[in-house]
Amino acid sequence: MLTVLVISIFAGLLGALTGLGGGSIMTPILVQFGVPVKYAIAASMVTIIATSSGSAASYVKERITNVKAAFYLEMFTIIGAIVGATITAFIQPRLLYFFFAGFLLTSFYGLSGHLKEEFPKRVKQDRFSKWLELQGSYYDQAARRKVSYKMTNAHLGGLGMMVAGLAAGMLGIGAGAFKVSIHELILRMPSKVSSTTSNFIIGITALAGASVYFASGLLFVGLAAPMAVGTTIGAVAGGRVLNRIPNRIVRYLFLAIVLVLIVQMLYKGITLQ
Amino acid sequence: MKKLLSEENLELTISYILIIGVIASVAMESLGILSYYYTNGDFGIVFQPQYALRGSDFFSYSATMLQNLILGSWTPFQILALGIIVLMITPYMRVLASVIYFGLVRNPKYLVITAFVLIILTASLLVH
Repeated sequence: MLTVLVISIFAGLLGALTGLGGGSIMTPILVQFGVPVKYAIAASMVTIIATSSGSAASYVKERITNVKAAFYLEMFTIIGAIVGATITAFIQPRLLYFFFAGFLLTSFYGLSGHLKEEFPKRVKQDRFSKWLELQGSYYDQAARRKVSYKMTNAHLGGLGMMVAGLAAGMLGIGAGAFKVSIHELILRMPSKVSSTTSNFIIGITALAGASVYFASGLLFVGLAAPMAVGTTIGAVAGGRVLNRIPNRIVRYLFLAIVLVLIVQMLYKGITLQ
Repeated sequence: MKKLLSEENLELTISYILIIGVIASVAMESLGILSYYYTNGDFGIVFQPQYALRGSDFFSYSATMLQNLILGSWTPFQILALGIIVLMITPYMRVLASVIYFGLVRNPKYLVITAFVLIILTASLLVH
């Protein structure tokens, strides 16, 4: 447990720094230490509730998170997560390594996929999004002004979130980068609203996935407890140093970690007996 | 009353639910890990069915664990399990809070949306 605790602190720290989240980093490491992949995924899923809720608390309080958008999108992520976790509980473990590597590959997209404009402008809101009251405003610290925004394409956003939930539930991760892309590219949220709202939703998605792992008896307390404590400590520390590290270094770190994890998961999947 | 029921206060309530839940759970898990070491003399992780959270559905499982705690039969496993239960119940509580809020302010759209999430989560936690 002590080893898991120490690794989790690092995973939480790196997860917060790179935006990958603790879960994506923890599962491959645990597997390397010989933990069965399904146990690792189940424990990660619970752990994510702690890191997500911990940071969500302050963003919600600062009123950056759009809670209405979160409530709407959660309907889709939880269904995806329940289906995804159920698949994981039943499929051959070997397949999970390949799915995991495949999902990590998509996270490269996040590097280039970011919108160039600081705040989305001239968004034409469709009727459904308007009916859902999907708009808002927050005070942007960096721009030193109040930013107002409107969202659109709520129906497509919901569909995208179901896919995000499926991946999250299956692999025991938050799928934060994926959710953020949907928020920004489809729903047209400003990036700060997007990342904080994604974080807020992750807690519920993780609970939906965790409920399936609970029912399947895959949730081991000896593994989940030190992970939850460790990643929470790591994430808090990571959040504090993030602002002091140049973006360039964060990007290299991200690239290096994702590459190592992909190679490792593929290797494990191929050599598994 | 209207001022009390502002969206800002819902956000504040949610924020408190989340932070209290996480702190309580991390504290219990830390205590659980220490008492595990105290009882067993090592930090080994055992992957045997009795160390998995399992039993009846989530709610009755939680009730049993809580009952044991009140009756004073503490084992390190129970403290660890309860820490995980508190963690899982935290986001559940914040959905419950939103359902109550949208019911009170009579916003049928979001009452239905949040109630849908609550029902799915409840159903999923009841399965075993």
